[in-house]
Amino acid sequence: MILIVIDHADGAPRKSAYELVSLGRALTGDDGSLTALVAGDAPGAVAQEIARFVPRVLTVSAPELAPPRAETMTRAVAHAATTLGAEAVLVGASRFGLSYSPRVAMRLGAPLLEDVTALERDGDGYVAKRLSYLARVTETVAASAPTVVVSVKPGAAAAADPAASAGEVTELEVPFEPDDVRVGVASRRAATKGRVALEDADVVVAGGRGFGSAETFDDLVVGLADALGAGVGSTRAVVDAGWRPYGEQIGQTGKTVAPRLYLALAVSGAVQHLSGMNRSKVIVAVNKDADAPIFRVADYGIVGDVLEVVPALQEAVAGLD
Amino acid sequence: MKIVTILKQVPDAEARVRASGGTLDLSGATLVIDGMDEYGVEEALRIRERGMETEIVALACGPERAAEAIRTALAMGVDRAVHVVSDVTLDAVAMARVLAGVVQDEAPELVFVGGKQADWDSSALGPALAEALGWPHADWTTELTFEDGTITVTHDIDDGTETLTLPLPAVVTTQQGLNEPRYPTLPNIMKAKRKTLEARPLADVAAAAGAPADRATELRASEIEARSRRNVVLDGDAKTAATELVRRLRDEAKVL
Amino acid sequence: MIDFELSDEQKQIQSMARAFAREHVLPHAAAWDRETRYPEEVVEAAAELGLLNVGVPEAVGGLGLGMLDEIVIAEELAYACMGFYTILMASDLGLTPIVLAGTAEQQRRFLEPLTTQARLAAFALSEPDNGSDASGLRTQARFEGDEVVLDGTKMWISNGEQASVIVVFATVDVQSGHKGTVAVVVEGGTPGLEANPIHGKLGQRASPTAELVLRGVRVPSANVLGEVGDGFKIAMRTLDRTRVPVAAGSVGVAQRALDEAISYASTRQAFGGPITRFQAIQFKLADMKIGLETARWMTYRAAWLIDRGLPHTEASAIAKCYASDVAFKAAEEALHVHGGYGYVDEFPVGKLMRDVKLNQIYEGTNEIQRVVIARGLMR
Repeated sequence: MILIVIDHADGAPRKSAYELVSLGRALTGDDGSLTALVAGDAPGAVAQEIARFVPRVLTVSAPELAPPRAETMTRAVAHAATTLGAEAVLVGASRFGLSYSPRVAMRLGAPLLEDVTALERDGDGYVAKRLSYLARVTETVAASAPTVVVSVKPGAAAAADPAASAGEVTELEVPFEPDDVRVGVASRRAATKGRVALEDADVVVAGGRGFGSAETFDDLVVGLADALGAGVGSTRAVVDAGWRPYGEQIGQTGKTVAPRLYLALAVSGAVQHLSGMNRSKVIVAVNKDADAPIFRVADYGIVGDVLEVVPALQEAVAGLD
Repeated sequence: MKIVTILKQVPDAEARVRASGGTLDLSGATLVIDGMDEYGVEEALRIRERGMETEIVALACGPERAAEAIRTALAMGVDRAVHVVSDVTLDAVAMARVLAGVVQDEAPELVFVGGKQADWDSSALGPALAEALGWPHADWTTELTFEDGTITVTHDIDDGTETLTLPLPAVVTTQQGLNEPRYPTLPNIMKAKRKTLEARPLADVAAAAGAPADRATELRASEIEARSRRNVVLDGDAKTAATELVRRLRDEAKVL
Repeated sequence: MIDFELSDEQKQIQSMARAFAREHVLPHAAAWDRETRYPEEVVEAAAELGLLNVGVPEAVGGLGLGMLDEIVIAEELAYACMGFYTILMASDLGLTPIVLAGTAEQQRRFLEPLTTQARLAAFALSEPDNGSDASGLRTQARFEGDEVVLDGTKMWISNGEQASVIVVFATVDVQSGHKGTVAVVVEGGTPGLEANPIHGKLGQRASPTAELVLRGVRVPSANVLGEVGDGFKIAMRTLDRTRVPVAAGSVGVAQRALDEAISYASTRQAFGGPITRFQAIQFKLADMKIGLETARWMTYRAAWLIDRGLPHTEASAIAKCYASDVAFKAAEEALHVHGGYGYVDEFPVGKLMRDVKLNQIYEGTNEIQRVVIARGLMR
């Protein structure tokens, strides 16, 4: 039995949830044992949506999960896995997923396959691909144990289509303990209100210091992103300069993205940055330095000044139907 | 107050990483203390410098040569260090089990771990260690303050930032933005010579912690990640190149 | 018997110096060169890390570092900017006579202040008409009561304008050759001392160079190092040591030249591929590597002799002469590998060549080094 944990926000599953469905179906051979866990203070709507895809949906509804914390999620997921005797627990490798899944593995005494880009059965166990050394190396890692915990990198599988018939939704009671809520959430601030979340974005427009100022960055990078319905990313230098928030930083210290299209504008391509985006399907680079390392990973490159090329791009994009 | 800061020695970001026959070759790479781990060392030093009497202990699990990274931390100002000498490349869960034993013996109020080290690209060590200890954790921390017995941290989450309060003891994973790590000064490098760096074999530490001295997962192969790219450079003035790019993204790559 | 490994502390020093050099020196080196700017704030930052005046003994507040420690730093800083390293190197040159020949009281008085703040020392030997021939000094020292009065002009004095401590070499009698020479410590700002910056240098423009004019400069005779007649010996013993950091700086430049050449050659395309495919390029790189490694080990050996307290005149002369020749050749070849781009200032190789030319000239020209070596052979 494979348990997939559904990552959700604002009453809807995140994109990665549908990818976990695909992966879970492949691993169970669609034998009807795939089970999804939806935990939250009001998981109903998300559970109904996921039931269109998965034969069995468990909901955990508890005030302890508002908002969810690493330790409350660990309790819920570990309890579900133990109760159901899950052979594998699949979690989306979002920041939050990466935060609680190691705890789940430790609690279950299970091996952890972390941030994997591919996952298959291998005899009694599983074999996965994952990146290491700032995404310059692909590792093949295997785990064999009664339960294996896996966090799955966004984009590792295609999003699933709905199943022929809707699954059954049942509620699961989880015995939370006082320590599970010892971490207090004082406040939350959304960084990218109204914009596509970077990890979910199909298109990412990222900019570097070459734009000269926060205003120009806003006009050109954010402007182009808006025109494309894209997420905005930036280099560490841009964040260090205070032009954009940390939440938009791409690379080793920031986010890892793998969109369908990544536009790197005045981004030189330091290895730390590349580690955060080199799995993008198509990469476009615009840089005035023809020797910039970004061109080595680019599908399409324009050698030129972003201050001239980006306005031209905005115009060309506006001409699309 | 006692703080343990966990370290890893990793290849320098500029280092060339090679692989052949499924095995990684780091022989030509310069190895340094992981940049993310340095934030933890720096934060511990700053806590002490703000006037709180603090003992700072560096803890690392790695091969013999990882002692160099530990010495960097000693030269930055850490008081002493424990080096679990291991020729096995442990995964995060296995390392957390081993290190939990040492941390329990040290009994600190706070443990710092780098948010994501540049060798295994894993952010699991901090949370796994916290779980092994039965402590709370906060990850990807960019701000940290103390108020009697608790800490308040601001950290990055998927859609923004979050401010948490944690009772001590706790594990905090660190990242860029928390502080600007100092260089070790020459006088401190010389002073570090006289500090204690205690080396303990993995087998002993693991036995004492009741943990296996081996990985929880099996590493079968490491290969250099290579993706073939089109590498097309579009010529012409800005307008021509931009128009051609948009056309190709739509018609050739089919991503628009 | 032979150990080619740096100690743990030396590795730490190396990685700290490297991190500092790559972050705070290298990115600015081109601008300092273009603007002929003395980067005072970066010298201060280096001092805060303990990289300035590393030769000050432990007894007077220094770290008691050896020559091997010093050259590990030298190579890293020179890799980033030889001109910047010359500021620090020249300060160590300036304080070395006091280390070698100063009394405990003189060391305390002149060296201790160099460890508490970013203060520079300078070494004033050369004169307008007299460079390598140190016995032909024309600057006059006259004893009057318990004071020494200095008159004359010193030329090519690195840090001459900035230094708080200057060791001035003079003679009590221009006719008496070595026997009349004297080394006198003059503090910066002493009345009668004037520093005129020298403009138009080919390279090493971050390092300030001055002409020092001494007009009736009075200092206590307690500022004399050793005795009258010791000046020449002190200067020679100083240079025997400080030629090793010059060699190490040259090694740093040679390493940079090789790295730049490899980096350019592996991206530059010609005839359908990177130019590293061609043996003409490969052989240049291999020759640079041969020179670099041999120069580095000779430099290490000279430093090792110094740290062991063994005779090192010949070894330091060989290291200085060989390493600076190797580095100049490496810079020239790196420039050539860059083709036309090497000839413009968009790439750093032109600066490497302009900078390292001076390493063949200062602290005894390479001809003088050969004289020193030959003299030892004929003895």
